[in-house]
Amino acid sequence: MVAADRRYNAPAKEPRSLLAGVLALLVHIVFIAVLISGFNWKDEHPESMIVDIWQDLPQPVPQSAIKKTASSAQPERQTKPAPETKPDSKPIAETKPHSLKPVPAQASPSPPKKPEIEIKEKAEKPKPAQKDPQPDLEVQKKKAQEQETRKKAEAERLLREREEQKKRELDAQNKRAQEDQQKRETAAQQKHEQEEKARLEARQAAARAQVAGEISKYQAMILAKIKSRIVMPPNLPGNPATEFDVTLLPGGDILDVRLRKSSGYPAFDSAVERAILLSKPLPLPPDPALFNEFRNLHVTVHYLE
Amino acid sequence: MNAAVTQDLSLFHLISSASVFVQLVMLVLLLASLVSWWYIFRKWFLLREAVKQSDEFEDNFWRGADLNVLYQRAISSRYTSSSMERIFVAGFGEFSKHKPGANIDMMMDSIRRAMQATYQREMDRLESHLPFLATVGSVSPYIGLLGTVWGIMNSFRSLSNISQATIAHVAPGIAEALIATAMGLFAAIPAVIAYNRYVSDTEKLATRFESFMEELSNVLQRRAPTSQE
Repeated sequence: MVAADRRYNAPAKEPRSLLAGVLALLVHIVFIAVLISGFNWKDEHPESMIVDIWQDLPQPVPQSAIKKTASSAQPERQTKPAPETKPDSKPIAETKPHSLKPVPAQASPSPPKKPEIEIKEKAEKPKPAQKDPQPDLEVQKKKAQEQETRKKAEAERLLREREEQKKRELDAQNKRAQEDQQKRETAAQQKHEQEEKARLEARQAAARAQVAGEISKYQAMILAKIKSRIVMPPNLPGNPATEFDVTLLPGGDILDVRLRKSSGYPAFDSAVERAILLSKPLPLPPDPALFNEFRNLHVTVHYLE
Repeated sequence: MNAAVTQDLSLFHLISSASVFVQLVMLVLLLASLVSWWYIFRKWFLLREAVKQSDEFEDNFWRGADLNVLYQRAISSRYTSSSMERIFVAGFGEFSKHKPGANIDMMMDSIRRAMQATYQREMDRLESHLPFLATVGSVSPYIGLLGTVWGIMNSFRSLSNISQATIAHVAPGIAEALIATAMGLFAAIPAVIAYNRYVSDTEKLATRFESFMEELSNVLQRRAPTSQE
């Protein structure tokens, strides 16, 4: 009985341990599949993020280039229109040779006409020479008639030729007139373009002047505000000047103040630095596009004004 | 497109490009996870079966079946019998071994000891592998963290050679290192949940067994005087 009891008390076999192993494997396979699909799904997100970043970045750059830094935009504008006008002038130069070429072509047909006339004159001249022998009257008459008919024919020919010449001359004149007109038109166009350019430049210059005026106005305001807060240390010899680099945040807050060039008097330097920090919301132009001009301010303060 | 955007961030690429130590950590965690899930399922089946068999046996027992019949049935099916059945067999076997006229207190003591021994053995069987689940649940996050710290250390060390450091240089290394933490958590969370669940299940079973032991000893004590007579 004791032996039987011991045998009986031996732990029973665990049920379905193989099935448990298979299920464990299955769970892992499912989880790995979910994980992989999750990673693939996340893979696409960084792309769109990067696209957004690139779309955002270039925008402020042209704005700053066009609006804010008018002084830096000037050379760009001046250099850019120049290549634009060159292609304009080139076509004009190309049209001129075209219009010039036909002129010699028309001039060349007219010289050959003159030799014809000369030939005719020469042909007329031998006629009196033919009259010299003066044989029979009838013959002479016939010849005279023939000559008359010839003369008439020649005269008709001459008339026709003259008319043709006139026509040709008229055509040439018309053509020349047309060319002149074209030239005038192109000249007018050029003038127009130049005027437009001048207008644009004038506008740009005005805008630049306005921007520059705005910038200088606010620079003066910033300097005035800083100066109003300086507590000057007394009795410094000479007129020392201290220079600071101030980094601004949009809104006029001061991010950083760095001493660029000391005056040699630490009391004066620190007084100016304190004044800069005290005048914290610095006056900035309302146009945020102009802020780039003020991002890195260079402040120079003289001891004696 | 993926190649253009710094690095390929697929799971397999991250794992294969990780350092050997991190890969080792991942392997350990994967094995721990596999084994813990295997135990989770095994214990699930075991406990479910134990509860079901206990229900059946208690049902039979309290229906007033003859104890001798129950004992014979349990002996004949010794390898498929339930824990409660075994406790009953141990107690009733001890009871039947006693000759009539013996000291009741001594008899009851020996019956209780026999049942207690079987109960301990059964509880040991039911609670087996639970410490493993507890270990996996508490340690695998640390193992994963170790792999992550190691991977991040490596990625920052490689950063020192680059003059212009960007997030793109560190990001893949950190991502592959963080996989170790993810795996650690992946192994730990089910293990902890299963451990808590199974501990409460076995405790419930234990109280059932203990109360059954008390009830059985009462029943047997009541039968003792009659056998003495």
